[in-house]
Amino acid sequence: MAVAQRGTASNYLQRAPSPSGLADVLDVILDKGLVIDAFVRVSVIGIEILTIDARIVIASVDTYLRFAEAVNRLDLAQSQPAGIDELRGGGSQEKAKGALEGAKEAITPGDSKKKERSR
Amino acid sequence: MSANHTSSPQPVYVYGVVPAGTALPHETQGVAGRPLELLERDGVAAVVSEFPAGDFRVRRSDLQAHLRSVEQVFAQATVAPCPFGTVLGSRADVAAHFLDPRAGELRMLLERLEGHVQMNVKAEYEEEAILRDVVAEDAEIARLRERTKALGAAAYYENIRLGELITSRLAARRATDAAEIEARLSAAAATSVSDPEDAAQLAVFKGSFLVERRALGAFDDVLDGLAAERSAQLRFEVTGPLPPVAFATLEPGVQAWA
Repeated sequence: MAVAQRGTASNYLQRAPSPSGLADVLDVILDKGLVIDAFVRVSVIGIEILTIDARIVIASVDTYLRFAEAVNRLDLAQSQPAGIDELRGGGSQEKAKGALEGAKEAITPGDSKKKERSR
Repeated sequence: MSANHTSSPQPVYVYGVVPAGTALPHETQGVAGRPLELLERDGVAAVVSEFPAGDFRVRRSDLQAHLRSVEQVFAQATVAPCPFGTVLGSRADVAAHFLDPRAGELRMLLERLEGHVQMNVKAEYEEEAILRDVVAEDAEIARLRERTKALGAAAYYENIRLGELITSRLAARRATDAAEIEARLSAAAATSVSDPEDAAQLAVFKGSFLVERRALGAFDDVLDGLAAERSAQLRFEVTGPLPPVAFATLEPGVQAWA
């Protein structure tokens, strides 16, 4: 979901008219733009939580997906015993999945308890 | 619920500022599903929607509604967007504490942004190609790599040293490459802001360029040329035309391109 491939014109340059993944949307709208003086603004708790958590989420989604991708590519390029490959591949997928669920929780903070129980 | 007849003031969500007289897109649903409206004062107008008082849970759809609303307004007008989550206590507050004291500055900001769009550019190394290059160009790294390969699992400290060397060589390349990317693209843009803090291992450059709408073709030519030239090592991503979010600021210093 977060890092969907966009329409490609070439493999060295990908073009998209608008951000599609969650991390990219947050990157555009979250802390850039015309800031109104703090004393006039109303603080909305749900939004405060989002702006704090999202920074962490953006960083970890990117990093986890990067590692997962790198490890997966290595698995393809090297011819090691299958057992090791499977362990590596599985580990990275788990990490990426964890990061994406973290992102969802940040958007709907009320869900986090439910998620913990279901694990 | 009409704001004029309720006892407590109706909070409003603010999307951004446009020139007075701007026609709003029809049937755009804003944050929390509320319709957009315009609050005009003295040549400028705030695009707002009513915001539910009390406990508010942000949903993904609200993020998308914010972006879509700003984009749809931007499709027809110059807009200086606010960050997601800008909420003011009432319509009266928007007028008295935002538009009235800042009308002059806001009009100047809108003049600067008129006819411009924002293009977001990201570049990162293609992992295998860049690692191969670093090994080929650096005798010490190549030697160390032979050693770690020969030692296998026993090469714990050598592996750390190898990774450390590669990281520092990558950092040096990144600094050079990021400066080149920004310089080449800036030549086709009015101004730019880049984000040098992005420490993701293969990220090289992340920045926003303010480009005249009529010069978009020239900007894309420069970008495509640069990306093609560096296609052996770099992968580029460009998003836009976007509303000029990263350039909608009243702070002095960032207005240098005016």
